[in-house]
Amino acid sequence: MNERTIRSVAVVGGGVVSLSAALAFAHALPRARVGLVETPLDPAALADLMPSTLPAIARFHARLGFDEVDLVRRGIATHRLGTSFEQWSADEDPWTHVFGDYGLPMGPIGFHDLWLRGRGANGVLPYDRYAAAAMLGNAGRFVHPEDDPRSPLSTYRYALRLDVQAYHAYLTDAAKGAGVAIAAGALGEIERREDGGIAALRLRDGRRIEADLFVDCGGPSAPLLSALDDAFEDWSAWLPADRLLIGESPSDLPPHPLDKAAAVSLGWCWSIPLSGRRAFGIAYACGQTDEARARRVLGREDCAAAGEAVSLRPGRRPRPWVRNVLAIGDSATALDPLHGTNLSLAHSAIERAIELLPGRDFHPLELAEYVRRTALETARVRDFLALHYLRSGRAEGEFWIGLSGRPLPESLARTVEQFGVRGRIAFFEEETFDKQAWVAAMIGLGQRPRHPNAMAGSVPEAAAEGGMRDLAERLAALPGQLPPYSDYLARMRRS
Amino acid sequence: LEGEGPGKQRVVILGGGTAGWMAGAALVRMLPHAADVHVVESAAIGIVGVGEATLPHLRFYVESLGVDEAEFMRATHATFKLGIDFRDFGSIGTSYLHPFGSFGSELNGVPFHQVWSRMRAEGRGEEIFAYSLCNVMAANNRFAPPSTDMRSFLSTYNYAYQFDATLFAPYLRRYSEARGARRTEGKVIGVEQHSETGDVAALRMENGERIEADLFVDCSGFRSLLLADTLKEEWEDWSHWLPCDRACALPCAPPPGPIEPYTRATAMKAGWRWRIPLQHRVGNGYVYSSSHISDDEAAAAITAAVEGAAMAEPRILRFRAGRRRRSWVRNVVAIGLASGFLEPLESTSIYLVQGAITQLIELFPQGPITNSDRDEFNRVTDYEYDRIRDFLILHYHATTRDDSSFWNHVRTMAVPDSLAEKIELWRRAGRLQKYTHGLFLEPSWIAVYIGQGIVPEAWDQRADSYEASALAGAMDRLRARIAEAVRSMPDHAGFIARRSAAIELPA
Repeated sequence: MNERTIRSVAVVGGGVVSLSAALAFAHALPRARVGLVETPLDPAALADLMPSTLPAIARFHARLGFDEVDLVRRGIATHRLGTSFEQWSADEDPWTHVFGDYGLPMGPIGFHDLWLRGRGANGVLPYDRYAAAAMLGNAGRFVHPEDDPRSPLSTYRYALRLDVQAYHAYLTDAAKGAGVAIAAGALGEIERREDGGIAALRLRDGRRIEADLFVDCGGPSAPLLSALDDAFEDWSAWLPADRLLIGESPSDLPPHPLDKAAAVSLGWCWSIPLSGRRAFGIAYACGQTDEARARRVLGREDCAAAGEAVSLRPGRRPRPWVRNVLAIGDSATALDPLHGTNLSLAHSAIERAIELLPGRDFHPLELAEYVRRTALETARVRDFLALHYLRSGRAEGEFWIGLSGRPLPESLARTVEQFGVRGRIAFFEEETFDKQAWVAAMIGLGQRPRHPNAMAGSVPEAAAEGGMRDLAERLAALPGQLPPYSDYLARMRRS
Repeated sequence: LEGEGPGKQRVVILGGGTAGWMAGAALVRMLPHAADVHVVESAAIGIVGVGEATLPHLRFYVESLGVDEAEFMRATHATFKLGIDFRDFGSIGTSYLHPFGSFGSELNGVPFHQVWSRMRAEGRGEEIFAYSLCNVMAANNRFAPPSTDMRSFLSTYNYAYQFDATLFAPYLRRYSEARGARRTEGKVIGVEQHSETGDVAALRMENGERIEADLFVDCSGFRSLLLADTLKEEWEDWSHWLPCDRACALPCAPPPGPIEPYTRATAMKAGWRWRIPLQHRVGNGYVYSSSHISDDEAAAAITAAVEGAAMAEPRILRFRAGRRRRSWVRNVVAIGLASGFLEPLESTSIYLVQGAITQLIELFPQGPITNSDRDEFNRVTDYEYDRIRDFLILHYHATTRDDSSFWNHVRTMAVPDSLAEKIELWRRAGRLQKYTHGLFLEPSWIAVYIGQGIVPEAWDQRADSYEASALAGAMDRLRARIAEAVRSMPDHAGFIARRSAAIELPA
């Protein structure tokens, strides 16, 4: 027998993160007792609230046995190819950030190296015009990627957007089906063990929950972890949006595969088309802007539909796993909703915790590997988001003025410097956003290297431009051959 | 030259051994419009040239040159290499093959070695090496190229080459010169530095010639003429962890019988000896610690160990484990032995050269060299060296041998914290510190840990979720599948004879 075995897991939280964690543990550890204490949802727990995710959700769902078609038919999920950015750069040109390839590489030379060299030349189009997913998205098209590597429809991935309430119900059913004991309640006292870990939770109604492992999905206040370790690493110097207005409203617009992120003077607004509805919101800095002004920016209708202002404290808990308490979601890492990373980061943490599940003694060395990898992952997501604020090029509006003068985190500074020399993306472990995604953001935001990549010289300029022209023509013709996303979705639901 | 854009950088590569010509060939191939390549070498200075075993990465180097693999193998008398057969390391009488391949496959996200650990604890299953296609191929002297379809079971291994290093550099020289590399033969008697910047400005040659460049690639071997002698970059010594500091090389005629598709490393009283089967000979050498055994004793030991008629006198090579703190300083990039040395136990020398060349090409200056580029190059070099260092130390430290003062030393020495943590993480429950960049990914660590007797005390509890009989069935099926695949593969020597033989090989 395995003497390390964790026999019971108690998850605490009030949203989809805690349900996802409970369900994933129940699947991975069929012999363990898994319970969920459903506490009231913290309105600042963005991983529980934001509908957008990253492509890795497919892997997470596959482990749970979730079928995407089923989620679509039930109206829970729609598809997401990326985000269109408006007003973010100095020239204010919009750009589309998608999950997938921009252009076609030529041997060892990246497409972006050729594009950067050729930009400005006659006939060279904006970078995103060479990405199949961007062309589809901007035309309101989505189809599932194909396997055939010769097809431009094989060059991208996609994520899901979730109707969070319906997803919550779906997860609840699945969790019950997997044997998760769900108990609604409010947290009372925390009973500690001699070694500092948690022995049991007391609920307000007097119930007592014991477990080997406690998972804190209770939102930014980290109700369990903070009892053991309240250290917090503040990232607000790099992620200046610390107040949000969030809402949802009915919408007649057809479903669309791109989220929208538009910079405004006092921050930025998002708009996420769901099925028959639209999620929206604004992120701003509370030190500059009062709530009334932010509401006015949303417009009259959205203003009425938006909830109360939510405070966000961007940053992370540097030790998300201490003894037998593991924090996941906003209790571990709090980021604004740019690029829709919140729920996907929680999924990634759940997968990593299961992969590295320590023994019942929770030896510090085993926890350290989890903490090390989590730190690498979250730092790079922070860098990716921070890039959009600190190197946006946008100089207009109180939120944006001065941001470009702020010092960058060391790893982001290195990334920006390296791109600035010849368009190279420096390597880091545990990247959520791959090199293509970094390049697209850099180029979209207006970053330009001082020199072309030396290797690009072996492709003659005329050949590179001819290749770009052919590709752009092929991609431009693509949307016309495909049905509008609403038709595609309707067919999926009927089939 | 092309009207706009920066002109070509003048690159001088100092040293024409394996590192120098590998760099030369790659630069003329990849940067024909950006680099003007000039190799300066001296016939009076011999090349080390015993690096005969390589790693699979070299395949990509050969491919990137646009060279036909069979032609390359013919030119260098090369054989295929599926891994390294380690003998007597963990204890005398034990052996294992560190494969260029993986063990089994994941079971619903649970790594195979975790399932294996649980089954072994219950007394079931074979040793883990029986579940690696690559190992079974090697044990049967079979070879076939892996499938390029990543979904195929036949894609779960890789291969490298074993070749004659004294033929490799001349081959690359011909390649480079045919593509425009210049070559100057002569002895460097002085190095000029810019008085203000300290950059290297020119090499002064014995015949009075003065050779200028924008960028100098120091491939001068252990002398490290530019990085160490001129720029005085500090040496970081690792010989307390890796005490072997000499090798006695002795090539011999191939013994009758098959050509093994692997390198053998056999632990010896004061180090280990290599055995590398090429088409036309077998390379041998005893890597040892000179404070534990004399040169004469080492020469006698290797002479006694070789299996065929000696083809040369025993040759002694001297080295020291460690590296220069930085490899790129000012306008000097040191590649190969000029930047550092790690002993050949895992055939990493040519890999380190190749990695440095790849980085140099990625970071090749198109104007003044930036600190950002130098830092980036040195950062990547740091973690390449550190990881290989830890992996090599593991081979010495993970042992129960107490039959000589050498093994007593390495068994009981303090290892770097970074390695101690890795070992402890493994020992507790078979966990591996994860990284994706650099050498020696998870299967390599698993092979050495298990092959040298560090078996995890416990395993991933997810492996307990399955019925033992179901797991045993799956493991048996895997072995049957491996056996079937290997049966249909050709003999290694026969495969080479048909495809890339430089000499007539016994069928």
